Amino acid sequence: MILARSADCGPGLPFAAVVALRYLRSTRRDSFVRFLSLVACGGLAVGVAALILSLAALTGFQDALKEEILSRTPEVAVDVPPDRDAAEVAVAIAGVEGVLGVRRSVEGRGWILSEGRVRSVLLEGFEGALPESYAEAPSRGPGVYLPERLAASWGLEAGDRVEIASNRPTLTPLGPQPRVLRRPVAGLYRAGRTEQEDRLALPLADAGRLLGPLTERVEVDAGGLERAQRVATRLADVLPEGVTVRTWRELERGLFFALRLEKSVMFVALSLIVGVAALALVADVHLVIAAKRAELGMLGTLGASPSALRRVFLLFGAGLATVGGGVGLALGLSGAHLLDRYRLLRLPPRVYFLDHVPFTVRLADVAVILLVSLGLSLACAVWAAGRAAALTPVEALRR
Amino acid sequence: MSVGVSVRGLEKAYEDGARRVEVLRGVDLSVTAGERVAIVGPSGSGKSTLLHLLGTLDRPDAGTVEIGGQAVGELTGSRLAAFRNRTIGFVFQFHELLAEFTALENVMLPGRIARRPLGELEERARELLEEVGMTRRSDHFPSQLSGGERQRVALCRALILDPPLLLADEPTGNLDPVIGDRVFDLLVELQERHGTTAVVVTHNPEIARRCARLLSLENGFLHDGNR
Repeated sequence: MILARSADCGPGLPFAAVVALRYLRSTRRDSFVRFLSLVACGGLAVGVAALILSLAALTGFQDALKEEILSRTPEVAVDVPPDRDAAEVAVAIAGVEGVLGVRRSVEGRGWILSEGRVRSVLLEGFEGALPESYAEAPSRGPGVYLPERLAASWGLEAGDRVEIASNRPTLTPLGPQPRVLRRPVAGLYRAGRTEQEDRLALPLADAGRLLGPLTERVEVDAGGLERAQRVATRLADVLPEGVTVRTWRELERGLFFALRLEKSVMFVALSLIVGVAALALVADVHLVIAAKRAELGMLGTLGASPSALRRVFLLFGAGLATVGGGVGLALGLSGAHLLDRYRLLRLPPRVYFLDHVPFTVRLADVAVILLVSLGLSLACAVWAAGRAAALTPVEALRR
Repeated sequence: MSVGVSVRGLEKAYEDGARRVEVLRGVDLSVTAGERVAIVGPSGSGKSTLLHLLGTLDRPDAGTVEIGGQAVGELTGSRLAAFRNRTIGFVFQFHELLAEFTALENVMLPGRIARRPLGELEERARELLEEVGMTRRSDHFPSQLSGGERQRVALCRALILDPPLLLADEPTGNLDPVIGDRVFDLLVELQERHGTTAVVVTHNPEIARRCARLLSLENGFLHDGNR
């Protein structure tokens, strides 16, 4: 019976926690304290929710972008200089543990010509079947493949003949002559939405004729992006000097750096909201200390040490930060889930490479957001609580 | 349990702008264990300052305070707070009960600070509240109590840990004479029953007369008030 009654005072809780909890509850009674507490909690909640939603949207976009760009990037690329036999290197690579497949390719610049029209294109010579990076092609046999949008604007179809010219001329006694091949269009493919330049796929032998001796690339299928590094390490051990081995991560290093930078800058910018809310928390804690000044003085006379009084307001601030952070977490996670699931934020597909804003929540992002928000709030609460510890009972009790 | 109090050459001054106000100029005082002493004096004579120094709430410019043989000037921070918690009970003119705690919880506060077992503490708090006739009001918040009731709760709070020394600063100063007398009756009754040493600062002659010894603070010095 006796202990049950004590439960209202916080059974087993230390003195500082009991007082902090009561002061947190008391914010309901004092309208000004309530207002400031709401501002501090609300600010933190908005800050945390904004950080979660923004980073989730950014992560969603970045994942989609990475997915598309990586679909055109080999898992491991081995560049073979012109003085080496790429076919031999490819055979050597195929024998390495973890390699599921190899494809030789070559890349250079050129033009496509048809009925007096000309356009600059990226020439990609490939060995064997058309690579998967050329999406939605009706057939994958050797031949020339054009992007759908180029074919549509020029009125070309499969079977039409086009001329392909290289930017490498052949030197003849009559002067430099362009290297031109006339070939039928084998099929059309759908270009990725982030592709800025038209790519033209053609058989490796034709590419060799047009581009001459060039650094050839052997694209390696390592069975997944995460296995690429392991396979690349093995390849580097067995391949001769002069041959360069790079993983998809190294090939797109600039992109990944830019994406990381973008995310970091956005995180710092949005953390300012949390910073402002944390300052509101300082104001709130200060106000409560001012309002409870005489009570704090009395607690001092009763034997509460300065460190105990500091703990009271540290816990008070931590309580507000936890409530604000918790509300922000719930808002951010549920918001991101709903926005992603029901695709509520639509985008004009002609402008963007996606038709909606995707939201991807990463646990690590949420952990960092909570850590920074609560850390900042607690640091501010420590600062504010120092004022309670600095009060002497005599000063506090003076009317 | 009670303790004696010994004060030697106590001095305290305040800066008031460019002016230095010497409040205590060398106060000597000895209170024997279990004694009830009243200190009287005009407003601004330094009665409260002396009580604050006795209660370790402030530090003197010179002189020493010993409570139960402990020189309190040697204590600082948490050790001083712990000493205050277990040795001294305070009753002020303004009760300063914590608004968010019920009467019972307010009485229990010193024990919570001292981390006493809750069950034992609550039992003791209820006993004290019963002694001052507050059993039925124990679950009320200070805002629901009258001035006299609040002061009775403050008295219970001061005595919950059976401190050997009770310091009261105008304990009835904020109450009407009838209620004030009743509260002081309770204070005397509890002090005598528990054998606590008590120092009461007051400007009420009736209350001062009810103490075993009367001291008067004038011009920064303490005199025998019966002379």
